[in-house]
Amino acid sequence: MAVIARCRSLLAGEPAAGKGKGWAMTILLFFLFPPSITAAQPLAEKGRYIAAAADCVACHTAENGRPFTGGRPFPTPFGTLYSTNITPDGETGIGDYSLEQFRATMRHGKGPHGNLYPAMPYTSYYLVRDDDIEALYRYFMQLPPVENRPPKNRLIFPANLRFGLSFWNWLYFDPEKTLAEPAGKSAEWQRGSYLVNALGHCGECHTPRNFAQAMRFDKRFAGNVLEGWDAVDIRPQSLRRQGWNRAQLRQLLTTGSSERGTLFGEMYRVMQHSLRHLSDDDINAMITFLLDDSEALPERPGNSESAAQNYPGGRGDFIAYCAGCHGRAGSGITQAFAPGMDNNAAIRAARPHNAIAVILRGLPAQRLDRERARAGMPSFHRQLDDARIAELVNFMRAAWSSGGAEVTAEEVARIRHSLEEEGYFSPAH
Amino acid sequence: MASLSISMKVNGETVGPMDIPEYTSMLDFLQEYLNLTGTKLGCGIGVCRACEVIVEDDNGGLQTLRTCINNVGRFNGSNVTTVEGHAQRNADGKIESLSPVQEAFLRHFSFQCGWCTPGFVNAATVLIERLKKNPVAKDKIEATIDESLGKHICRCTGYVRYFHAVRDVIESTPGLVKEGD
Repeated sequence: MAVIARCRSLLAGEPAAGKGKGWAMTILLFFLFPPSITAAQPLAEKGRYIAAAADCVACHTAENGRPFTGGRPFPTPFGTLYSTNITPDGETGIGDYSLEQFRATMRHGKGPHGNLYPAMPYTSYYLVRDDDIEALYRYFMQLPPVENRPPKNRLIFPANLRFGLSFWNWLYFDPEKTLAEPAGKSAEWQRGSYLVNALGHCGECHTPRNFAQAMRFDKRFAGNVLEGWDAVDIRPQSLRRQGWNRAQLRQLLTTGSSERGTLFGEMYRVMQHSLRHLSDDDINAMITFLLDDSEALPERPGNSESAAQNYPGGRGDFIAYCAGCHGRAGSGITQAFAPGMDNNAAIRAARPHNAIAVILRGLPAQRLDRERARAGMPSFHRQLDDARIAELVNFMRAAWSSGGAEVTAEEVARIRHSLEEEGYFSPAH
Repeated sequence: MASLSISMKVNGETVGPMDIPEYTSMLDFLQEYLNLTGTKLGCGIGVCRACEVIVEDDNGGLQTLRTCINNVGRFNGSNVTTVEGHAQRNADGKIESLSPVQEAFLRHFSFQCGWCTPGFVNAATVLIERLKKNPVAKDKIEATIDESLGKHICRCTGYVRYFHAVRDVIESTPGLVKEGD
């Protein structure tokens, strides 16, 4: 309104009305539709989608905080990091960044104020294409600026010295590498590879890390334990072995649950903030990349009779503790209440970590919206000791999967110990 | 269907050994085999906690367990208290006096239809027993009640009267509240 009033006064002060009107109209139009913004609008819209695919909001938002204003804590072996405010506030956000600076931050972890910690996944984002970076930049720059200064990082020496990260980058980060584009793969596969490797930065959680917390590219996507959960092996062979098909993966990635298994922990939030907002084409592309074009492996179901013979205590505990919800013979009682264990990916996985950790920790109830909510699961770390959990998991794996190596009580004890150390057992049962 | 040989203590009396089909829920076992119909089936999926009973753990501490989602095998060999086990009875089994929690629920008109009451009685009793060992600070009473009873669902009275009754028991029983911190 102020703009219009100003134009009106200009109009009134101009004697040659006709000529002045045209001039004033130009100013009016300029104020109402600045050329830079009109050109940037579709780009910003594209940027919103890219931001969803890159899941920026999950890390750059504190619990119950305003989106993109930062402050979410990230506990690392070297101390606690806090995500930054990425709204275009000049003082506390990224309002002063040029496109060039934004690009350097995203791609190389080189912010205008120094090196970024690799908690910011520039180790994946360096693969993001130029046009996508620009779209992201336009999107963030047109967000409302919010003044919010996240808490200061609390890191131990020498990790608290940002210049040391140059050395880290020199050792572990090679931004000259480009995304592999094997000739034999379809365009859909290539798009999926870009979404998974670059924007989705899936490898940041699903790839094992070395002692300096750098991803081990020789084991890309082979899985990694984070926050007490196994961010599972997502290599095609592993997914195939667990029996995943396209329809089940699509359902899992867009709703958080499927007959083959459910998402929990951080991955549930990835679905909530990112995956379910992606187009069908992009989800399909990711699935094509994840399952690769490899053949489906023949089903090798377990044998519940021999499992019952080999692990009678495990079977007894399954009936006494689990079957009330997970159904007779592990068939489950609806996905929303208690999914079946007889075709569950966590039971079928080569690594038993999640099967054990879920029993020990339980799972919180999840509520995506009115119609898509799931019941939680109680924790059993007080009720079942290591030997019984080992036998229970062995029974389930033998009965309903092609079986992996036998779980020992020591393995359960190790997982219990680390979960306890990291404070993942709730005080109330 | 395979059976389990079940024996346990229920309200102080030894039950079994008796052969029970292994997939029998504890709730069905109480109702159909022991004729203890005070424990109620509410939601049947472990949410409402109307079906909770008290089980003594290995250290003599008490905990509540839901009987709709746990099968009878989980309770084998344990010491169980249901809502029928709180009142003092004479030699003929006639009720002489109710427990303090039960009295308080009556005095405060805590329930109307009474379906959720067995769960509330058991959970509140476990809370009181816990406070006898570890008294609660005065300013933590509300939070402590919420922690113990907050997940119980009642569709009649809106919880307030249950909370008032439990607070009343905590405040009027000597030794449950500690001064300071």
